[in-house]
Amino acid sequence: MSWTAVAKKDFRDAVQSRALWALLGVFVVLSVVLSYAYATFPELVGGTTEPTVGGLVFFTSGIVSLFVSLTAIVVCYKAIAGERELGSIKLMLALPHRRRDVFLGKLVGRTGVLTLALAVGLVVGLGLGAVLIGSFEPVPIAAFLFVTLLFAVVYVTVVVSLSATTGSTSRATTFALGFFLLFELLWDVVPLGVVYVANGLALPATMPDWIFPLMQLPPSSAYVLALSALLPDIAESAPGGGVAAGFDAFYARPELGFAVLAFWLVVPMAVGSYRFANADL
Amino acid sequence: MAAIELDGLTKHYGDVVAVDGLDLTVEEGEIFGFLGPNGAGKSTTIDILLDFVRPTGGTARVLGHDAQRESLAVRQRTGVLPDAYHVYDRLTGRQHMEFVVDSKEVDADIEAILERVRVLEAADRKAGGYSKGMRQRLVLAMALVGDPDLLILDEPSTGLDPNGARQMREIIQAENERGTTVFFSSHIMEQVEAICDRVAIINRGRLVAVDSIDGLRDSTETTTTLTVDVSNADDGAVAAVRARDDVNSASLAGDRISITLGPDGSKFGVLQTLDQAGVTIEDFSLDESSLEDLFAEYTTSQQSVDRDAAGPDALDAGGAGATEVNR
Repeated sequence: MSWTAVAKKDFRDAVQSRALWALLGVFVVLSVVLSYAYATFPELVGGTTEPTVGGLVFFTSGIVSLFVSLTAIVVCYKAIAGERELGSIKLMLALPHRRRDVFLGKLVGRTGVLTLALAVGLVVGLGLGAVLIGSFEPVPIAAFLFVTLLFAVVYVTVVVSLSATTGSTSRATTFALGFFLLFELLWDVVPLGVVYVANGLALPATMPDWIFPLMQLPPSSAYVLALSALLPDIAESAPGGGVAAGFDAFYARPELGFAVLAFWLVVPMAVGSYRFANADL
Repeated sequence: MAAIELDGLTKHYGDVVAVDGLDLTVEEGEIFGFLGPNGAGKSTTIDILLDFVRPTGGTARVLGHDAQRESLAVRQRTGVLPDAYHVYDRLTGRQHMEFVVDSKEVDADIEAILERVRVLEAADRKAGGYSKGMRQRLVLAMALVGDPDLLILDEPSTGLDPNGARQMREIIQAENERGTTVFFSSHIMEQVEAICDRVAIINRGRLVAVDSIDGLRDSTETTTTLTVDVSNADDGAVAAVRARDDVNSASLAGDRISITLGPDGSKFGVLQTLDQAGVTIEDFSLDESSLEDLFAEYTTSQQSVDRDAAGPDALDAGGAGATEVNR
């Protein structure tokens, strides 16, 4: 169980990141404002006039996914590359740890840090929302917490894995920011571009089915999709709900969100731990 | 069983050869000095022993285990003070020690060890605020956790003041008396000379000498320089000294004669010769070649051979051959 020692050490270290707590401060303020706005003016954001906790969950999922992705980057981009660049990894690997245990310990430790910050933010934001709405609905809250935790694990895995591929902090920063830029900011145009090229430099009248998984490739899209798989009724009525509408392929369904999240869990982990295990430090 | 066994150990970084066919055996219970100029391949060799770096060729065995395939067993029984490490700035000294205890899954009296290296009073301060010397002591304390069978210390005196360096030596000796094998690297002969049973000198990734300190002294031609202050010397007296079999050279400058003696040269005999030549001896002093000179001789003469082989371009590199391996 050598990874537990690494995870404990790593949690103690990373939880002291000032940037983490600054981001959490911003997140708490935003989630309070959003909860208040939704509870007071539900008609502004959804079709219904009656605010529900389920609706609140979908309403805040956007800001939650932004917080999780940015915080994961801030907390994790130096997880391994930073230790290699500074040389503290020599203290760690002089101890009897396999490289894969270090990798796993890093994942667990940093996930713990991110989960702690997330828990603080969600208790304040969702708690206020539930109080204002005046009801407590355990099912949507449990589903939301489950998918959000999974999403946090996925993002930590992606960023730690990117960090594990290099011994240079600046390169690790480039990788993490590049990932965020490509998949979270620019991705909207990528599937369209692919369709455009595949269709002979013209947009078809109806979009092919395979554009759907391509559109859901970013972890944050998969997160919202997975959430709607667990809460289909609320997703239908929520803004941006019914994402899979208009496609009839067997895979064009909300459960695809879990498959995409699994992809982002397994592939980066395999590449990152392989690269780290075979590196000269 | 040998504590460390290197067999044809080789490491290339691209075109750069950091370690070149190293054969070396360190016996259990020794204090072994691993000596060489900066960039000679000392740290790369130690990195291979700990599996930080994988060799290009050859094998390394530590405490009977293959250093690559069975690295975990090696590191469980080894305490390490690495080179160019960095402490966790946001963790306290005590948390560093707890990490080692958790990692090695051993019982250890953290406070007693911190007391021993004299950082106990700073145990609950963040290590980022420690001085260089305190960090070095903290990492030494981490190396001592769990009473390791082997201590690998890479340039242990770095950052320590003379007092700290002396305490470091005392701790090394105390651990050795407890039965721990100590393997430590240095680029300063003086540190090695004081406590090592045996020494290996490496240069440019190759072993140039392995011997006990006394053996090293005996195996090279030790020279003694005798400086005599005189009041009425002339060339004839100097020539008389130079004529002795045991004198390599003698020269007069003002009122001072410098004489270098061969291995078995008689200082007394030289002074007698001067006296017989009618010279009045005011004072004299002796300067025996030190191991430092010996070390310089080993590491520079080897280099000149390499340079010839590498062609004229290599000469431009200049310096003392301190080409750090860049990775």
